[in-house]
Amino acid sequence: MYNLNKFFIPLAVFLLVTFSSFAIAEKIGHYGVGKTASEQQIKGWDIDIRPDGKGLPKGQGSVTQGEPLYEAKCASCHGSFGEGQGRWPILAGGEDSLTEERPEKTVGSFWPYASTLWDYINRAMPYTAPKSLTPDEVYAISAYVLYLNEIVEDDFVLTDSNLASVKMPNEENFYIDDRPDSTNTRCMKNCKNPADIEVVQPLAGITPEQEKAPVKEKAKSTSSLSELAIQGKATYQSSCFVCHSSGVAGAPKVSDKDDWNKRIEKGFDQVVTHAIDGYSGNTGIMPPKGGNLSLSDEQVTNAVHYMLEAK
Amino acid sequence: MSDTNKTTTAKTHIAEMASNVPVSSRRDFLKKGVQYTAGIATAVTTGGALSGNLPPEVPNWSKSLGAGVLTKPYGMPSSFEKNVIRRTVPWLTADRISSISMSPLQDLKGIITPNGLFFERYHSGIPDIDPVQHRLMIHGLVENPLILDMDDLARLPSESVINFLECPANGGMEWRGPQMEALQFTHGMISCCEWTGVRLSTLLDEVGVKPEGKWILAEGADGSGMSRSIPLEKALDDALVVYAQNGERLRPEQGYPIRLFNPGWEGNTSVKWLRRLEIGDKPWHHREETSKYTDLMPDGRARRFSYEQEANSVITSPCPENPWKTKGVYQIEGLAWSGRGKIKHVDISVDGGVTWRPASLNGLVLSKSFTRFSLPFKWNGAPALLQSRAIDETGYVQPTLSQLRDIRGMNSIYHKNAIHTWQLQTDGKVKNVQLK
Repeated sequence: MYNLNKFFIPLAVFLLVTFSSFAIAEKIGHYGVGKTASEQQIKGWDIDIRPDGKGLPKGQGSVTQGEPLYEAKCASCHGSFGEGQGRWPILAGGEDSLTEERPEKTVGSFWPYASTLWDYINRAMPYTAPKSLTPDEVYAISAYVLYLNEIVEDDFVLTDSNLASVKMPNEENFYIDDRPDSTNTRCMKNCKNPADIEVVQPLAGITPEQEKAPVKEKAKSTSSLSELAIQGKATYQSSCFVCHSSGVAGAPKVSDKDDWNKRIEKGFDQVVTHAIDGYSGNTGIMPPKGGNLSLSDEQVTNAVHYMLEAK
Repeated sequence: MSDTNKTTTAKTHIAEMASNVPVSSRRDFLKKGVQYTAGIATAVTTGGALSGNLPPEVPNWSKSLGAGVLTKPYGMPSSFEKNVIRRTVPWLTADRISSISMSPLQDLKGIITPNGLFFERYHSGIPDIDPVQHRLMIHGLVENPLILDMDDLARLPSESVINFLECPANGGMEWRGPQMEALQFTHGMISCCEWTGVRLSTLLDEVGVKPEGKWILAEGADGSGMSRSIPLEKALDDALVVYAQNGERLRPEQGYPIRLFNPGWEGNTSVKWLRRLEIGDKPWHHREETSKYTDLMPDGRARRFSYEQEANSVITSPCPENPWKTKGVYQIEGLAWSGRGKIKHVDISVDGGVTWRPASLNGLVLSKSFTRFSLPFKWNGAPALLQSRAIDETGYVQPTLSQLRDIRGMNSIYHKNAIHTWQLQTDGKVKNVQLK
């Protein structure tokens, strides 16, 4: 009995301490989870730019430097003059169109701040290889897009210190959400004259069919592929798929073997050279390595093997 | 009516419907008897064996064994439900990596959208994120910038809420006129589920926001680094960092392993694959809050930071996908929702808005959530113009399309929450129309 009591006393003290510390945790609402983010860690991820220039890294790029970069990395989707290919975004033009029946909301006609352009190119472009550009390349391409919109002259150099002073034509035309803007009432009877009702019928033939599940792309059998083509498949899917599955910018579609055969007549090496170094001509635009310069020549070559062999 | 007659009727009906299907897919349609409406599908998919499974015969499945446990370790819907899927409108976007798909609202019941049917919206596709290597960084105007891993988040108190999430472009294809002959395409950019996660305010307490901190930049870990500026008030009100939906971890499509969730606000502000929250004193005016997701008005000016999804509703039965087949009693059913709170009333008109009758609200009526409504209706075969009108707890009444167009014109793309009109025809089919 004596021994048992001796055991109980420390246990009781222990429980008391434990419970009181629970209580403290609940009271202060502070949990102490996570680790302090170091300056270096923050620097690696903190990529955002504001209209006042906050966040811009040191650097610069000229319109002249931007032109070849834009041609190589942007024009295949956005067009050489920012006019847009297919349904890819139009970047230039559209001045004074915002009140028209079909407004064109481009960088020049609509975007309120130049910082947005820099920020977006830096975080999300080129589409197939986001976050692959150096700061100077982003300055140069941003300068070129501003030039395409006639916001800067052809000798302009965009820098971290002058970006915030680039005035965009449409800046003043944005205002904070002021909804609710409509004032309907809960009328229950005689809310309108039935004779005034005019029924507008839908446009026919543009609704996708729903009757059956969408046709899935047939699982491409890899059994008939060569070793190199199998190795190239992942590269194709990550860096080539966007253009070569849809045929954008004149890209030969993987499924269009006739188109590929025409190109291969000039020799496999020629096709690979165009894939690695880029190509621009009557048949379309191929950015070097599809815009993803982190790919090795070997990876690009294997992706070409894959596109030639895949059915 | 004998069973034989029923079969004939059903087959005739299918043949009629098949005549509306382009020739290319008609053969397939007839051969497989693919589901068009649930009742008929059952009759046709079983084909010749139909009578054998109906009373007085004992069905085949009652005379044999079925599949055992773990036949599908992760369960899937019945094979007869294979048509209940997300769909897209291919011409809307340049490709499928930066695109959107819609939920099949015509087939959903209750207020919860199953995870596999939740609408999708990506700006650079779905990243494949290893949760062990994913981090949430919170920094900027704070006392103690933090990096949290997914286990850290799990240690914090969690909350579960049932809220809808809607793309502000929902219905946007219909500003100029009726285009989509399907509910899935007119209204399917919305889904509703139970979300579980940590209050954003709890996380902000952990880092200690400095007095000058007024805005938060939320940024995703996807290729597009999707980013939006969120006012601090929303963070302190009801925003969450969520890691689960409908009881399981977020689907990759919905931001696995974590996303921001802003109840009632336009979907893109609920940044998926959330990797970073920066506290600042001003908004950032990034691409998805300037070039996109701003509302162009007729005078050429544009609204920005139009976060709230205003009250909206739509009739889900009947609708183009759910026609009525015979005269008789039906329930006019539908969904209503508001980003400003609870749905208070839904009214239904069958005469194009001349007279309205209050519908009953069914099941749970929750703030910023789907709410089900219904009204019994005896259909005598006459044509009708069906409409629903939602009123939320703030007193806001869902506007007519004319009222919206008078203020916003036709080019604002987003936030089209107008009263929708279905034209019920004498044959029971339903068309998407608009009223002038």
